[in-house]
Amino acid sequence: MADSDEDYIATDDEEIGAHNISKSGRHRGAGGAAATGGSGARSKNGSKPGGGAQKRERWEDIKRSWDNVVEGEDGSLSSTVAGLLEAGKRKRLLKDTTPLQRGIIRHLILILDLSSAMMEKDFRPTRYLLSLRYACDFVREYFEQNPISQLGVLGMRDGLAVRISDLSGNPVDHIEAIGKLRLDEGKGAPSLQNALEMSRAALFHAPSHGTREVVIVFGALLSSDPGDIHQTISHLVEDKIRVSVVGLSAQVAVCRELCKRTNAGDEGVYGVALDDKHFRELLLDTTIPPVTRSAKMSASSLLMMGFPSRMVEKTASLCACHSTLTKGGYLCSRCSTKVCALPMECPACGLTLILSTHLARSYHHLFPLKNWVEVPWKAASKSTHCYACQIPFPHPPAKPEELSAPAKTATGTSVSSRYACTICHNHFCIDCDVFCHETLYNCPACQSSVPKGRISNGARGRSDPMEVG
Amino acid sequence: MDTVDASAHYSQSVDEKPSLLVLILDTNPYAWSTLSATLPLERALASILIFLNVHMAFSHANRVAVIASHTRSARFLYPTTTSTTTAAGGSGGSEDPFRDANKYRQFRLIEDQVQASFAELMRQTTASELVDAKETMMAGALGLALGYVNRLVRVDDSGGVVGGKDGAVGEVTSMNARILVVSVSGDLAEQYVPVMNSIFAAQRKKIPIDICKVAGETVFLQQASDTTRGIYMQLEHPESLLQYLMMCFIPDTATRRHLVPPTQVNVDFRAACFCHKNVVDIGFVCSICLSIFCTPPEGAICTTCNTKLDISALGNFGGKPAVVLTKKKKTKKLKQSKATSFSNEASATSTPGTPAS
Ligand SMILES: [Zn+2]
Ligand SMILES: [Zn+2]
Ligand SMILES: [Zn+2]
Ligand SMILES: [Zn+2]
Ligand SMILES: [Zn+2]
Ligand SMILES: [Zn+2]
Repeated sequence: MADSDEDYIATDDEEIGAHNISKSGRHRGAGGAAATGGSGARSKNGSKPGGGAQKRERWEDIKRSWDNVVEGEDGSLSSTVAGLLEAGKRKRLLKDTTPLQRGIIRHLILILDLSSAMMEKDFRPTRYLLSLRYACDFVREYFEQNPISQLGVLGMRDGLAVRISDLSGNPVDHIEAIGKLRLDEGKGAPSLQNALEMSRAALFHAPSHGTREVVIVFGALLSSDPGDIHQTISHLVEDKIRVSVVGLSAQVAVCRELCKRTNAGDEGVYGVALDDKHFRELLLDTTIPPVTRSAKMSASSLLMMGFPSRMVEKTASLCACHSTLTKGGYLCSRCSTKVCALPMECPACGLTLILSTHLARSYHHLFPLKNWVEVPWKAASKSTHCYACQIPFPHPPAKPEELSAPAKTATGTSVSSRYACTICHNHFCIDCDVFCHETLYNCPACQSSVPKGRISNGARGRSDPMEVG
Repeated sequence: MDTVDASAHYSQSVDEKPSLLVLILDTNPYAWSTLSATLPLERALASILIFLNVHMAFSHANRVAVIASHTRSARFLYPTTTSTTTAAGGSGGSEDPFRDANKYRQFRLIEDQVQASFAELMRQTTASELVDAKETMMAGALGLALGYVNRLVRVDDSGGVVGGKDGAVGEVTSMNARILVVSVSGDLAEQYVPVMNSIFAAQRKKIPIDICKVAGETVFLQQASDTTRGIYMQLEHPESLLQYLMMCFIPDTATRRHLVPPTQVNVDFRAACFCHKNVVDIGFVCSICLSIFCTPPEGAICTTCNTKLDISALGNFGGKPAVVLTKKKKTKKLKQSKATSFSNEASATSTPGTPAS
């Protein structure tokens, strides 16, 4: 079993320098069978994760995508393919929609592995370039989802932590800084401890009402640390910093412990990418604001914020943030200092300046749209078309035994292709279901009719109390 | 003439995409009645129909949809699904819309159906519903528009395929879609969150929302066109609605890149507080639910999420004079201590000097 990993160990041994190598058991894939690493790992870590003796190995269990495709009644595959697609969409969609308290104001450090392990070509073109590209996507999506949050980027290379960009709210700075790394390449061994200590220092001044988070992209299977990393983990727990890791090669025990301990026992934040699509998914999942687990995690406080309006001047004047000449910008609501972009802290008086649209962008995280339910044939006759996009629905079948079929098919789709909003009971097609839950976050039908005893739309979601998850 | 190479021209027009226009007409009778002297709703509708015809005339592949944002409901005026038969029969009486040789069939279809469903909408509106009905279901209308655009832009519409799910198989037939809102009523504060959600959805799908503001004023629609890079136009002379529509709103998104579209320069980004719906430029924000308050809520308990809030951080912000005072004191003290130390030093230096002198 360990034979396949020989080549990794060979490179590992070369890198053992003055530092301790904290490398423990690992196993490939997120939840597969154990493939315990080489001799060093075995001597150090006795407890292998997951006994995989009786289970079939992951690679033995081949999933053939064509097994699921069955010819339809008319002899063509189109209906089956459409059904599979619909099932896929539906599966992706069904999420827990209880309104949870989330940390909307985030302070996050993204740590990129810039070690020699990133020069592997198992991700195209290389792990290094791909992770840089996805890091840029991450930055964009992070600020899209968390407009009033802060981000900083660090790198791990040559056993050192390298500062790539400081904690700030401006996506352009981060993307530029990450872009500059493209000319470079991965070197040396990574040091988790150094990087984590540096993030701890960077997050030290983050206010208590915000979250403190670290996201690590980790390609190597080792960490070359100057001291005891377990102590660093304890410090992280004390500082209420949550760490999530996206692994690129295999699970590393120390990362698992790191995630588990800093996330109150939740290991779900440690994922190992199976392919590049999965890598992107794992990384971008961390842009969703984290659930507040206990009232202690983040203090609630009242913040004073300014909502400046944009103005255009006849003559150019200097902005306070970059000292460049601009025609127009935003004036601080308190001291009328001109800044050129929002959100920003007023350079003169320190007031947080944001657009009200920035706040509104986060509301859908706090008040999610409830999942829609499948409609049985019996209830299907009341609609002939999708409420939102006007696409015609299939007619109910003539046979009575088909009419009494359960609403949910084996693949999880609706038997009548209709999905109903639980509040207004209008019917929608699967595409609108996906669109409304993933992009719009409203029910168009609920918004376009006034129920009796009208509740204000703005306060509807807000009336139910939020749970602390 | 043979030397003229027409193929270049032909190949250019190949990548021209058809465009989809979704027009949202705010049909709040209350708001239109204030405009009855200059632009009655019927005349506005006639202008809009001409505008739609112009849009359709550009290309046979162009599509339109018309949605009414009424006082208590939002619904499609075109294309309608439920009342296709009544639309054809109810409007022109016995006349078959397909038989009129003097009119382009597509124009005729749209006109008849819009007018019929509009009449239906007005017929269903009872006087009792209109009592104090100042608002309009803009959030719902935007939601319908976006849902419709979402389907048409993605699904191949060759011959009006019924089984739309087949079309969704990776079929990317992008049309240039845009949404035009002809708005007359003002207040949208009640629908703040859903309207904002619609705006962000449009932004993500790169669908511009154009605003033709005939009367009234809403901050949110201004923000909508600004966020989605649409055109915002506040009409000075509502009676010439058609002129405005033709001059400002006819170019589609592809054409706009070559033009300088009219837009607003000053955008009001102030927020409305959740407690009194006042528009504020400095507000207090709950860090848990992001509710905006104009003054710190009573007992420091957020009224929307019932969280006890820590207002100690505000001390640094709010108490301006106090901050200045403590600073002064500190500097004074420092100065004093410096001065005393200096004098001590001076005396110290002088003391050794004194015996010398
Ligand atoms: Zn600036
Ligand atoms: Zn200021
Ligand atoms: Zn639909
Ligand atoms: Zn609904
Ligand atoms: Zn207020
Ligand atoms: Zn709150």
